[in-house]
Amino acid sequence: MTKWTIVADLNRCVGCQTCTAACKQTNATAPGVQWRKVLDFEAGEYPDVRRAFVPVGCMHCDEPPCLDVCPSTATLKRADGIVTIDYDICIGCAYCAVACPYQARFRVDTPNQAFGKDSQKMRHEIVRERPERRSVAQKCTLCVDKIDEGLANGLIPGIDANATPACVESCIAAALVFGDADDPDSNVSTLIAENRTFGMHEELGTGPNIRYLYSGKDFPEGSTATLVPNPIGQASVAPRHQHQWDWRAASNFVFGGAGTGLFTFAAVAGLFSPFLWWAGLLALAMVGLGLFCVWLEIGRPWRFLNVFRHPARSWMTREALAAMPYFGLGALAVLLTMPWPGFGAGGWVGLPAAAFALMFLYSQARILKAAKGIPVWRQEQIVPLIVTTGLTEGMGLFAVAALIAGTSASWISLTMAALAGLRWLAWRSYRGALAAEGAPTQSLIKLDAGPLNLSAPGQAAIVALALAGLVLPGVTALAGLLAVATGWAFKFTLITRAAYNQGYAIEAMPARGAGKPAPGVKPGWTRA
Amino acid sequence: MADGGESNKTEVTSYCYQCVAGPDLLKVDIQDGVPVRVRPNDEAAVIHPAGGKVCVKAFGLIQKTNNPHRIRTPMIRTNPKKGRDEDPGFREATWDEALDMIAGKLRSIRERGLLDESGFPRVAASFGGGGTPTSYMGTFPAFLGAWGPVDMSFGSGQGVKCTHSEHLYGELWHRAFTVSPDTPMVELVVAFGANTEASGGVCGVRRHADARARGAKRIMVEPHLSITGACSAEWVPIRPKTDPAFMFAMIHVMLHEEPRERLDIPFLRDRTSSPYLIAPNGFYLRDPATNKPLIWDQTSASAVPFDTPGTDPALEGTFTVSGLEVGADDESWDHKDIECRPAFGHLVEHVAPYSPDWAAEICDVKADTIRSVATQFLDHAHIGETVEVNGHILPYRPVSVSLGKTVNNGWGGYECVWARTLLACLVGGLEVPGGTLGTTVRLNRPADNRWTSVVPGPDGFMNYPMNPTRKGEWMDTSSSRHAHRTLVPLAANSPWSQALGPTHLAWMMQKEGLEHLPTPTPPEVWFVYRTNPVISFWDVKSVAEAVARFPFTVCFALTHDETNHMADVLLPECTDLEGTQLIRIGGSKYIEQFWDYQGFALRDPASAPQGEARDFSWISTELAQRSGILEAYNSSINKGAAGVRLFGDGYDFSLKPDEPHSVEDIWENVCRAASAEITDGAESQGLDYFREHGFRVKEFPRERWYLYPAMVDMNLRFELPYQERLLRIGKELGARLHEKGIRWWDRQLEEYEALPPWRDFPGMWESALENAFDVKIGDYPFWVVTSRSMQYSWGGNAGLQMIHEVASNITTHGGVVMNAGRAAEMGLSEGDRVRISSPNGSTEGALILKHGIRPDTLLMVGQFAHWTTPFARDLDTPSMNALTPMLLELTDATGSGADLTRVKIERIGGGK
Repeated sequence: MTKWTIVADLNRCVGCQTCTAACKQTNATAPGVQWRKVLDFEAGEYPDVRRAFVPVGCMHCDEPPCLDVCPSTATLKRADGIVTIDYDICIGCAYCAVACPYQARFRVDTPNQAFGKDSQKMRHEIVRERPERRSVAQKCTLCVDKIDEGLANGLIPGIDANATPACVESCIAAALVFGDADDPDSNVSTLIAENRTFGMHEELGTGPNIRYLYSGKDFPEGSTATLVPNPIGQASVAPRHQHQWDWRAASNFVFGGAGTGLFTFAAVAGLFSPFLWWAGLLALAMVGLGLFCVWLEIGRPWRFLNVFRHPARSWMTREALAAMPYFGLGALAVLLTMPWPGFGAGGWVGLPAAAFALMFLYSQARILKAAKGIPVWRQEQIVPLIVTTGLTEGMGLFAVAALIAGTSASWISLTMAALAGLRWLAWRSYRGALAAEGAPTQSLIKLDAGPLNLSAPGQAAIVALALAGLVLPGVTALAGLLAVATGWAFKFTLITRAAYNQGYAIEAMPARGAGKPAPGVKPGWTRA
Repeated sequence: MADGGESNKTEVTSYCYQCVAGPDLLKVDIQDGVPVRVRPNDEAAVIHPAGGKVCVKAFGLIQKTNNPHRIRTPMIRTNPKKGRDEDPGFREATWDEALDMIAGKLRSIRERGLLDESGFPRVAASFGGGGTPTSYMGTFPAFLGAWGPVDMSFGSGQGVKCTHSEHLYGELWHRAFTVSPDTPMVELVVAFGANTEASGGVCGVRRHADARARGAKRIMVEPHLSITGACSAEWVPIRPKTDPAFMFAMIHVMLHEEPRERLDIPFLRDRTSSPYLIAPNGFYLRDPATNKPLIWDQTSASAVPFDTPGTDPALEGTFTVSGLEVGADDESWDHKDIECRPAFGHLVEHVAPYSPDWAAEICDVKADTIRSVATQFLDHAHIGETVEVNGHILPYRPVSVSLGKTVNNGWGGYECVWARTLLACLVGGLEVPGGTLGTTVRLNRPADNRWTSVVPGPDGFMNYPMNPTRKGEWMDTSSSRHAHRTLVPLAANSPWSQALGPTHLAWMMQKEGLEHLPTPTPPEVWFVYRTNPVISFWDVKSVAEAVARFPFTVCFALTHDETNHMADVLLPECTDLEGTQLIRIGGSKYIEQFWDYQGFALRDPASAPQGEARDFSWISTELAQRSGILEAYNSSINKGAAGVRLFGDGYDFSLKPDEPHSVEDIWENVCRAASAEITDGAESQGLDYFREHGFRVKEFPRERWYLYPAMVDMNLRFELPYQERLLRIGKELGARLHEKGIRWWDRQLEEYEALPPWRDFPGMWESALENAFDVKIGDYPFWVVTSRSMQYSWGGNAGLQMIHEVASNITTHGGVVMNAGRAAEMGLSEGDRVRISSPNGSTEGALILKHGIRPDTLLMVGQFAHWTTPFARDLDTPSMNALTPMLLELTDATGSGADLTRVKIERIGGGK
């Protein structure tokens, strides 16, 4: 087998950005898009300060999170390890971009025009126009065309310039080396065997294939990067707010979670009392509205059917697959329970759709967990939290519906109270895990901010109001509304304002020449 | 392609010589006639010191060529008023109209005389980038050569943006216009601000990366943690402008704290002036019969001429001797039985006060750190060891000190270069493998060969073409507006000398003349190419005002910029990827360009000219013909003004002098002559050969990297540690100036010291600012310094989006860098909008916080603050060029200043 790998020698790299420029030119990438770039890290405090330059880009991971999440199968991994994107299949959902912990993926919706719309388009921008790349995911290809063409012509990638990725070909410090890590005698295998190396964010299990070389002499094994909560001067490497998914994506979690929760409780209630067809209709509409919002966000909306292509691994495909029977069976249930002459089916009619609603809700939770690029999404405890808040919001809406329908039952109040309590527990568990494992400082600040969060006082009030509903009719609905409001606010914050990406980190500041290495840094991260 | 070349090419070979660390050899991919991609010329991998790689700046050439903001036709100014706030009102013109307009002025000048009433050339020219524009201006040097006297004294940054002291003293001491460690062999480099990883080009980067990979050590001594500091084993944050104290203390440790056997005594004895006896007035004690300096021979216990065979010269001790002492202007003293000591003994005494503890306070560096650096320097010197280079057994001394800009110009520059070169001498590490090497010569001749520039001079040293200072020989005018031959003996009189004079004096005198110099006049015609002094010089406001007063300025223009905003004519020339030119490559050149080959490389057009752009050689020929100097122009090309002499032994490709030649024909003949030169006349292939191969080289023997073999061959000594010659010319120069009534250069005369003492160099800036601007220096608590950028330096590329984009990954770009702790104390935050003010001016931008900078220092990388260059004008990046004043008081004896000043910082807005 072959596994193409880049070794970046941090002792050699000077941050000149020649690789960045060569990549941009070779691949005709858009202004601001850098498939390869070199980061500028600083560690320590005056006068004991280190600075290091770290080339990054697509790591062509052994276990690429982008591949798992891709709903369209546009992202594939070749037998030689290169992770590719089929621009003709990609729907431009940018899920891969938030799943990538290396910020290696981009989506560009406009043609290249370096000097802006007010300036004439340059000749090379015209002849190298790549319309197929517009509004879909793009990233480093390892100059796969050069590799394939070179191999076809008997050249050796990493040795012959014409078969070597442009970044490596251009590297003026000989810091970047390219070769086959599966060949024990290759250039890269030799370097890896004879030196200390690390991969970025290896703890995420991605198996990155840019290996950073540094002198390990005098440096203890198992050293970990120092968290720097306040990354002064490190904005370029600290976690940044992701801009791939905005309010449109957030709406899907807001309405999808609450809608599926509402349908679930409408269906369950239907076992004891007539199915509230209009509540079911509302629940269907909410999920539909959420999905419509997402549709507005994807880059190639008319390719939306490609979302169904990856049921084997993508929770986004699974969400879409769950949505179909949910809509079908749900619509049937509504139709069958509407007060039309000749209809009037039993309460059980909502149950099959509710099963798919729960699947949809669970898929949403797993969508976030699979997004390895966003630390506050990928946290394990996000799954129970997203599921419980969806159910809590659904119950909250159902309590209102029940009030409108004139039905009141103690189980509504009790369930409302129980779910709010459970949600709080899920939140506490989630937030506690973030504190223990560390998270981007800014994410934690945003999650904890604002009056409408899931912290104890608000949630205790909801539980109290819900229980008060046992004696005061209508108060449970108020608790429900509050549960919806806090749940929605939380999810909106989670998807948008608090969604800082992984940022960059290095395990060690490299030794330079005869110098010594020093502990690495993880800027912008905190445990709190 | 230009000049009727093919249009179906998919790649051409070319070079990038946008900066002094070039040239890089490259290929350009062409798609549908459009240059789309730059890449390394991998065929050059074996002959090029950096494996044929290409610097990041070269990748900007695609956007440069296809730039939407290019000037596409000749343009003529319609608004007679000039100034920053005046719209030039450029209108499009034909080439005929533009060239005739310029030629009309030129013919008028020829009729009236080439010099004006003050004796200055009526034609002036300014080129940027440390001489690199000649690699793009085709046959324009032939035009200038044919023209006659041209004033090149209006600087674009030299003197303040270069390593000026190194240029002059380096050439004096070891034919070292620039200085480099012998990086492929060095073990320890102590770098004082030498930002090699940003300004050393691909060769510098690759050679130092290889050095690091084999475990070499570099200790970086500088106020902020630069790119090079980042790549160094240690960073020592030193107070700005105190570097001489650090080096003096290193010398003190080596001479007063370590045993003598740790030094290279044979080198000091045989290859330096160390044993020369010093007479009471500070000049050498000489043999009355031969006038040769005397040494004390320990074998015969007598004073004998320095070159007496079989002697055992003493380096230390006091001896009773007789002899002749010759001072300035042949003043002489006949000494009988006086007590004299060798120069080395004087040196030992001279550095006695400069202990590490003394330096610690000045430099704000611990004494132990300084001591440790000095002893490491000795530890790595391998005294007594040798190495074979191509059959030559040479000393192996793998230690070196390198100096950066600002350390190496202005006051203190002399002391730094002296100390650095002396440190090399103490361990025998000057011009030997592993040690401290010169790279190229620019003031001595011939310029392309360091070995043949080694010519015996007086007293056993190399000759040096000083501008005369003796009575009757001294020149009270200089045929340049900055008086380089009058004021700076070391500036010599080569084609490069004007650029190495005190170029800011030319600008200053446009405002106010200096007493007893000819009345300053503006040039009647000023040519400007690849430079933008209104941005790149110091005190840019004053420069802009001077430029606005020039009556007729011709700018070769890529886009509108701040200097050509004041132009009368803009000429669009075929830029880097459109023009044709053959240049010399290889040998040993600037910075870290040490090759094992030498030869020629072709710049083959990758694109048809955009708009009405014309090849520079076409423009030059047209100007020559229209101004009536065609024959002289062609003759100048024949004699080598285009880089290659067109005739030689057994070949003659000379152009017919009396007719104009096409660009293709000119370069065909140049290429044929180059082929003949490189094959000793055996072959004579022309353009087609170079178009196919890109370059043509022959071997350059590695021993020629080192001057030592040539010195040994001629039994010459390096003129260190004692500067008797400088002492003499300083006194003579002083006498001449005083005879003329000139007293305003007295401070500069103090630099002519035989053994330079420490002066309060930071204090010189402080007092100069207080004197000139009537301010209290305490109100300006920070030093501001600058640093080169690999992505921008020399490139003239601030208007290129791609360069800006990739440069932004280096976080010190785009604002003013400040120590994070100090900022917190002052309540300043990252991204705050701040105003930085010096007594001379102010600049504004965003605050960048870092830990890797001294709390008393601010940093502004590169040169920005453009106000009309497209794209660059929107970068909102501060520039220290608005802050540094041009002051006589801040001008050193070589005519340079240093790129730093004192400033204050104030917050004027929150972050974005």
